[in-house]
Amino acid sequence: MQKIMIIEDDPAIREELALLLKNEGYTPLMVTEFTDVPGQAAQERPDLILLDIGLPGKDGFSLCAALRKVSLAPMIFVTSRDAGVDEVRALSLGGDDYITKPYSVPVLLARIKAVLRRSFGEPEPSDILDDGKLRLSLTKGTVSAGGGTAELTRNELQILACLMAHAGQIVSRADLIDTLWDNQIYIDDNTLSVNMTRLRGKLAKIGLPDAIKTRRGMGYQL
Amino acid sequence: MTLREFLSDRLFRIITPLLCFTIAILFLRATGTQSGVLAILAAVFLLVFCAVQLSDFFSQRTRLRELESILDSLDRKYLFTECVPPPQNLYERRLFNLTRRAGRAMTGAVSDAQASQREYREYVEQWVHEIKAPITAARLICRDLDGEPRRKLISELAQVEAHVERALFYARAESPERDFLLRQVKLEKIAAQAIENHRSLLIQNGIRVETEGLNCTVYTDEKWAVFILGQLLQNAARYRGEAPVITISAHPLGKQVRLTVSDNGIGIPAHELPRIFERGFTGSNGRSRGGSTGMGLYLCQKLSGFLELGLDIASEQGKRTTVTLIFPAKQNLTKL
Repeated sequence: MQKIMIIEDDPAIREELALLLKNEGYTPLMVTEFTDVPGQAAQERPDLILLDIGLPGKDGFSLCAALRKVSLAPMIFVTSRDAGVDEVRALSLGGDDYITKPYSVPVLLARIKAVLRRSFGEPEPSDILDDGKLRLSLTKGTVSAGGGTAELTRNELQILACLMAHAGQIVSRADLIDTLWDNQIYIDDNTLSVNMTRLRGKLAKIGLPDAIKTRRGMGYQL
Repeated sequence: MTLREFLSDRLFRIITPLLCFTIAILFLRATGTQSGVLAILAAVFLLVFCAVQLSDFFSQRTRLRELESILDSLDRKYLFTECVPPPQNLYERRLFNLTRRAGRAMTGAVSDAQASQREYREYVEQWVHEIKAPITAARLICRDLDGEPRRKLISELAQVEAHVERALFYARAESPERDFLLRQVKLEKIAAQAIENHRSLLIQNGIRVETEGLNCTVYTDEKWAVFILGQLLQNAARYRGEAPVITISAHPLGKQVRLTVSDNGIGIPAHELPRIFERGFTGSNGRSRGGSTGMGLYLCQKLSGFLELGLDIASEQGKRTTVTLIFPAKQNLTKL
């Protein structure tokens, strides 16, 4: 498990962040003593550092320089100052990414994942989703099953990918819309219904007419 | 100053000597001075008198013109009295000193006001940064909740954030120091960020957003542009109609880039269009839908001015509103 060091002075944020990262499968390291942060980093050897550059009585930028001397771990700056000047300065000091408070949780997680992937050369998330019955190719935009292959539009692809990622669980319409918006597809409820009908039509043609079940009042289930 | 104004101003001072002189001539004549002598006397007197008046006129006119040109060339006009050469004559010098003292009091008051404005802005900025910590914590805590309550809370938090952002940008826009940074940015990035910031508002109102041709690069301050676009999205969401759709599209316009944000909302009545950028103007839509602050578009226009963005709104009541933002070409940016 990858260790993520959280340097954040607000205890509420620190603890919630630790909990969140733990749930996501990382090992969070909370820094509660800010006197010798570089020393702690040298000792704990984290894989990623989340650094709040607005620590009390300290200049986050000089702390960053000190951390850089003892650790080569990638660093994501978190700050509530959102002037463009700060961003440029942070990145020029060796930060790998910069995110401003208040961040949305999915955005933060995506950034962490991306930085870790860049730094440790982890494989890109798999292009093929396969649950035994369905085989979805994300780059080709096709779905295949026993009965053949169908081409999907961008929207249908994302809907199906989301359902397959939560195979067996009920995914609500609101969650589906959220996922699509995460992928820069800004649709509304009606469009989702239309896309869902088309997706079901295409699945029916390749021999899976009832692959997506509607759970009335709750959502969809694959 | 014209000769006529000069003369009418000094009427009394001109008539009095002339009157005295006429009386003197009449007296000399009565006491038997020859009329030839009187004629010479009168001619010399009039000549000298006119010459003195004219020279006064010209010297005053020159001085006034000089002062006017000094005032015109000044950036901060209230420093005028510090920049002009003091006058020669006693009375004027005294007057000048009085004005200068008044001017200094004004300069003091102005710099006090500027200092307090700066302090206020600094306080607002700091406050905004501080309030962001609890908002961030609240967002993280929301993760632990399920479904509907989480969505509702996140949307309330997004509204809090929108208000906070407006306060921050208000402080920035009203302050003489402007800390923006013009850089090369992809419009896609600006649009995605603005949509992300107002996503719960948009989703909650059942809005579909279509984007088109956003693969262009513009030179602007990313944060400010995201804020401006965000205000437009909020307006489109607030004044939506049936089956709301917002279209964000960009087209190159020579070396400039034109970004349009159009919606199929309730539109703005034609007679209110000229006033929509006024501070605090809410219009009939704002009154009927509520929750309008009259600050969004005012700020947009103000910030656009700093970023040299062209901002224009067209609308057809009951049908649509189209906002056009024209991003300047790189070489036209003076502050880069």
